[in-house]
Amino acid sequence: MAQQTPVRPLGATGAMIDEDWEALRFRVHRSAYRDPEVFRTEVDRIWNHTWLYLGHETEIPKAGDFKTRTLGGRPLIFCRDADGQVRAFFNACTHRGTVLCRHSEGNTKFFQCFYHAWAFSNSGELAALPGDDAYPDDPAFRASMALRQVPRLQIHEGFVFVAFDPDVPDLLTHLGPAAHYMSLTAKIGEHGMTTLPGVQLYSVKGNWKLAVENAMDGYHFAPTHNTFVGYLRETGFAVTDDDQYAYDLGGGHGLLVLTGHNGRIGMVWEPRFGDEEKTRTVTKRRELEARLGPELAAEVADASRILFVFPNLLLFDLEALTIRQLEPVAADRTDVRAWQFVEVGEPESVRALRIKTMVSFVGPGGLATPDDIEAYEAVQRGITATADSVDPAHDWSDMSRGMANEKQGNQGRSIDEGAMRSFWRRWAEVVGAGTSVAGDPPAGTPAAGPAAGGAGK
Amino acid sequence: MVKVESREVTRAEVEDFLYREAQLLDEWRLDEWLTLIEPGGRLEVPTTDWAGWDATTAGYFVADDYELIQARVKRLKSRKAHAENPHSRTHRMISNVLLLEAGAETVWISANFLIHRYRDNGAYTYVGRYEHVLKVDPDGLRFRLRRAVPVMESMDPGARLSFIL
Repeated sequence: MAQQTPVRPLGATGAMIDEDWEALRFRVHRSAYRDPEVFRTEVDRIWNHTWLYLGHETEIPKAGDFKTRTLGGRPLIFCRDADGQVRAFFNACTHRGTVLCRHSEGNTKFFQCFYHAWAFSNSGELAALPGDDAYPDDPAFRASMALRQVPRLQIHEGFVFVAFDPDVPDLLTHLGPAAHYMSLTAKIGEHGMTTLPGVQLYSVKGNWKLAVENAMDGYHFAPTHNTFVGYLRETGFAVTDDDQYAYDLGGGHGLLVLTGHNGRIGMVWEPRFGDEEKTRTVTKRRELEARLGPELAAEVADASRILFVFPNLLLFDLEALTIRQLEPVAADRTDVRAWQFVEVGEPESVRALRIKTMVSFVGPGGLATPDDIEAYEAVQRGITATADSVDPAHDWSDMSRGMANEKQGNQGRSIDEGAMRSFWRRWAEVVGAGTSVAGDPPAGTPAAGPAAGGAGK
Repeated sequence: MVKVESREVTRAEVEDFLYREAQLLDEWRLDEWLTLIEPGGRLEVPTTDWAGWDATTAGYFVADDYELIQARVKRLKSRKAHAENPHSRTHRMISNVLLLEAGAETVWISANFLIHRYRDNGAYTYVGRYEHVLKVDPDGLRFRLRRAVPVMESMDPGARLSFIL
């Protein structure tokens, strides 16, 4: 690992995270969202040295299928080679660095650079070297010019992760308890799950951490999504925030378990899904119980979940399913990619209901996500007000909600800010940001998810 | 000009219909706009990787049935539609109108659009084409399917679809 310089301390206390268990205050210095130097440090410490979600293996189902995708600012080829193995390469010709594949997707046996016509097989070997008589007649030379693989690639339940640092621990170690929640989602479909074409690609004028906070923040739901809640009410469904909890899964990963937010297609019926779906939900629940047993079936089906896998994956397991990937571009800009994730082999009417229902909520054209985007962007603009030396005492964002409850040892609610706090603690640890802790944090280890048999306290 | 069972439809009539619709949307006269949608009509915005998939088989940006169109209008009229309060300023240009095919009571048309949107000192450009199915009434036209296909490679920073594209 390269020598690391600490993030320049900012704020009155010299820390970027200010946590005080006497005053019950948790706040984040606003330079964390704003400062290009912090952003560069994040790319170096997080994106260059942590497992990153690349894509789902169902995006490239056949040998030769490929997608090109930028991750951590690096252009990559995500492909399935001739033998069916999933691979990730740096999308740069080993000769002069030209972007090798300039298509966003396709199927090919070879990636040929247009510049000097070097060609590489979809497993990375240098397959064509025009005018090779002027190069060393040595297999070692050709081997040295093979396409560069991303150092680490591992797959959990079809979710493909890569790391640019060869020394990261195993993927399952990184995922910790988050792996279980990915597995729950993967179990929904009797015949498996798949991503669909029709990927939402959009970009927001906000720091990537605002998107993480927003997803781990049940407190914003009622005021921000007032019109969406109103729409649900009119369809005959009353949203509630009662008895719903947030979990710190360690490693910066977080989970909201939402029992009162919506139905779940095939699992928990609500009126807007229609009568046909009501009947199918009964059948589908029976199928889940027969296949998984009643306890696991209940865990898979009963509650909606929003899972954050540090640093760039959000899995929305709600009415239907969306996989969302965050790609930081600058301190004030984040590219977002979102896929519909569906049951393999489900009836066309269910597929249609799923797509209609999910995109009406989640995505830049939905009835809810645009208001979240408005929030990230309004924060990004608003936090310039207190920047620099103008108002240092107030250049902080507050995330204290629920600390009193947490101090008493109670499980944090989805409408508290505990999941955001655990994210920020991990962030500070990884980027080397200063943290000031006063008073005594709650004793004991927080529950890494709901206890078996229900989303209890 | 094309002919459906009941009457003829000219390009000028379709152009007038599209221009009038653009005016209603730019002026945020959403109740009047809603009357241009046939009950049972659909509002669709495919994603930027669209390759002709319909909204029953692929992800979309917008895949509204008539109930959701009504809910969308109701939302956009609310002060609590934060993403559009205050409203974006939009300015729509429509051109290259083609009458593609006539059905028994519908005509399938395409047109290019260029929409400029301004908000919070940001300027956003949305470029694409419409591929609409219009129901031909005795005295006018209505949308059976209103589909706006973005031609951009992705939605630019800040270019959300909080308004009607």
